[in-house]
Amino acid sequence: MKHFLTDLYRSKAGLVGAVLIMVIVLVSLLAPVLDLPDPTRGDLRARLVGPTWTGLFTPGAHPLGTDEVGRDILSRLINGSRITLLVATTAVVLGGIVGTILGILAGYKGGLVDRILMRLVDIQLAVPLMLLALLVVAALGPSLRNVVLVLALTSWIRYARIIRAQVLSLREREFVQSAHAIGASTLRIMFLHILPNVLTPALVVGTLELARVIIMDSALSFLGLGVQPPTPSWGRMLADGRVYISSAWWAVTFPGLAIVLTVLSVNLFGDWLRDYFDPKTRSAK
Amino acid sequence: MNYLTRLVASTALATSFAGAAMAMDLTIAQTSAVNTLDPHASASVNLDLSVLSHIYPTLILRAPNQELTPSLATSWEAVDDLTWKFTLTEGATFANGEPLDAETVAWNIARVTNPEQKMRISSWFAQIDGVNILSPTEFEIKTKAPFPALPAQLSMFMLLPPKWASENDPVTSTLSGFKYSLTENVPGDHITLEPNQDYWGETPAQFDSVTFRVIPETASRIAALMAGEVDLISSVPASEIARINESGSAKAGAVDSTRSIFIKYNTEKTPLDNKKFRQALNYAVDKELIADALFGGLANPSKCQVLSPNYFGYNDDLTAYPYDPEMAKKLLAESGVDLSQTFEFELPSNRYLQGEEVVQAVAQMLGDVGVKTNIITMEFGAYLDKYRKAGDLGQLSLLGQAWPTIDADGLLTLFKPGNQYSYWNDTGFDEQLVIGATTTDVAVREAAYKKATEIMCDEAPVLFLYAQPATYGVSTKVDYTPRGDDWMRAFDMTPAQ
Repeated sequence: MKHFLTDLYRSKAGLVGAVLIMVIVLVSLLAPVLDLPDPTRGDLRARLVGPTWTGLFTPGAHPLGTDEVGRDILSRLINGSRITLLVATTAVVLGGIVGTILGILAGYKGGLVDRILMRLVDIQLAVPLMLLALLVVAALGPSLRNVVLVLALTSWIRYARIIRAQVLSLREREFVQSAHAIGASTLRIMFLHILPNVLTPALVVGTLELARVIIMDSALSFLGLGVQPPTPSWGRMLADGRVYISSAWWAVTFPGLAIVLTVLSVNLFGDWLRDYFDPKTRSAK
Repeated sequence: MNYLTRLVASTALATSFAGAAMAMDLTIAQTSAVNTLDPHASASVNLDLSVLSHIYPTLILRAPNQELTPSLATSWEAVDDLTWKFTLTEGATFANGEPLDAETVAWNIARVTNPEQKMRISSWFAQIDGVNILSPTEFEIKTKAPFPALPAQLSMFMLLPPKWASENDPVTSTLSGFKYSLTENVPGDHITLEPNQDYWGETPAQFDSVTFRVIPETASRIAALMAGEVDLISSVPASEIARINESGSAKAGAVDSTRSIFIKYNTEKTPLDNKKFRQALNYAVDKELIADALFGGLANPSKCQVLSPNYFGYNDDLTAYPYDPEMAKKLLAESGVDLSQTFEFELPSNRYLQGEEVVQAVAQMLGDVGVKTNIITMEFGAYLDKYRKAGDLGQLSLLGQAWPTIDADGLLTLFKPGNQYSYWNDTGFDEQLVIGATTTDVAVREAAYKKATEIMCDEAPVLFLYAQPATYGVSTKVDYTPRGDDWMRAFDMTPAQ
């Protein structure tokens, strides 16, 4: 753990990413106690009011301005981050669980199971993920649950592929062979001996997937297929504000920045994490 | 008389020469791509029909001031309740020489009324019984019932060349019979028209070319106008009008349109069958605030009817439900509706000017009196499928309706029991509509629609909102008469002098 932290501290990019993520998560967790204006209620008489930077310290003012129906943008950003993070992490964890289990199964069992699962992955990779997501959400109807499900659906294949490759080399190792020799059941070998050894790559894939899923969630909301208004979501804020891009820049700029910063910090951290766990780059240092 | 006609013709010719000297290329921005080139297979005036009205002739044209003016037909009159007589321009032809005579008109009417052809616009002419050809330039249209709105309806009816249509597919190709002919069609991107050299009319094309460009994004449309790339745009958000005017390169504004925006109730679903509940929602929404704040005062709150003042049958005596949340709460309590439920509120996206904002504002006001809603955004196509095909509209939904003939017979018919668009069943209302639609006596019709609108106001089958303003932006290089309907036509414009 100590080595982990010193390495993170030494890598500037990774550190920036980690700090940003912590800030974003902290702010979204603290949203209920921050005494923000209601993100779903607007004052039509105060629509598209520009940012007043001093507004942070004056109650009732709008530090980042208001949107096209007079809602406070700062409050919508912070509350939107809760939903974005909730959707993205749930989808990534869900996809991770399914992908890891199927990856271990395919890699360890081999044979027919492997072939079927990997062809399934191939088929899904042949369909553009965004198109798949659009189709499923359009068919099932837009809702928080459906968005999570569809994002998890686009996410499991990456885990499955990488985990399977790991398992292929792991199952030839001595500790697996010996477990097999003393009569451990297949299930026991898969989940007690192999699983702990693939958790690290799964974690790295998960971080990188998180960034992709946040972008996709925003894209779905941008197209009106994500969480429904008035619930705040970054993609939707971007979509609704873009009409006013030249007269009320704040309505699109801030949600756009929020998406960029979040994805950037997750990517920076994810890259560092991958390098950290990669024996090749680690020995090079 | 003869001398007068010649004088008018020569003046028209002279002005058109003056216009020709100032000739220029014109570009009109459209919000989405043209779906079909067959003028009988589309009912979307702002898109397909606007483009095609440059290529194919109509008997009658509706001028920007909403008056019906002669085009191919030089005059028309109602001979009796069931007969309309038309006289056509002599010697008019299509570009391939096919005559534009009574035979051609009869063939075209037969084409849309033939039930086997299943033309998109067939319902407009369902009341036509047949056509009597009197001479190559004179004919009569017989109707099954009095059809006072026939001339207005014919202003949206374009004529195809019969012989050419039998050898070509009108969906993908065109043959000019009017001011312009199509020279380039890049589906989804642009359509270019150039003047038809064989045009038979007296005022020829005013522009060297007319290009219809597809720019779906509102902000891009405005940017293109201000950069001088396009000369006419529609659907400008109200708050952007001042900015366009300040730019100096373009003018923007709004005129009252014929489109009424309201929240459609599906009265076939509980508890929207409860009259008190329907009225309560009408009291709960501040229409004035929406019109002022979202539309900068350009929208006019509806006076408790879907008709706007330019419609025949508009009832001047009605007043809008006032904004009275206390009254709304009282009525909600009396209605006995369980308010713990959440109501579906459907929102067709990117369809109505600032529709997304209106729905969220309405939802918030309904929430203030304790009516919880769940907004469901959907593509307009998906919404139409639910509305028309599946007959399964949500409890509440945002809808805007207009009727091109600007007559209560038409717009109110969309609420008639049995109509697939209705979702409301009121026998008293039905009776009045039947009276209004089956006589040409203006006084009787007015009285019938007065009663019909009164019933509709009281029964409240919709949550009345406002008449959508027709906003536009136009380059300073052209003179343009803005219009409240959806037509976007080069011949409403002239190069600026």
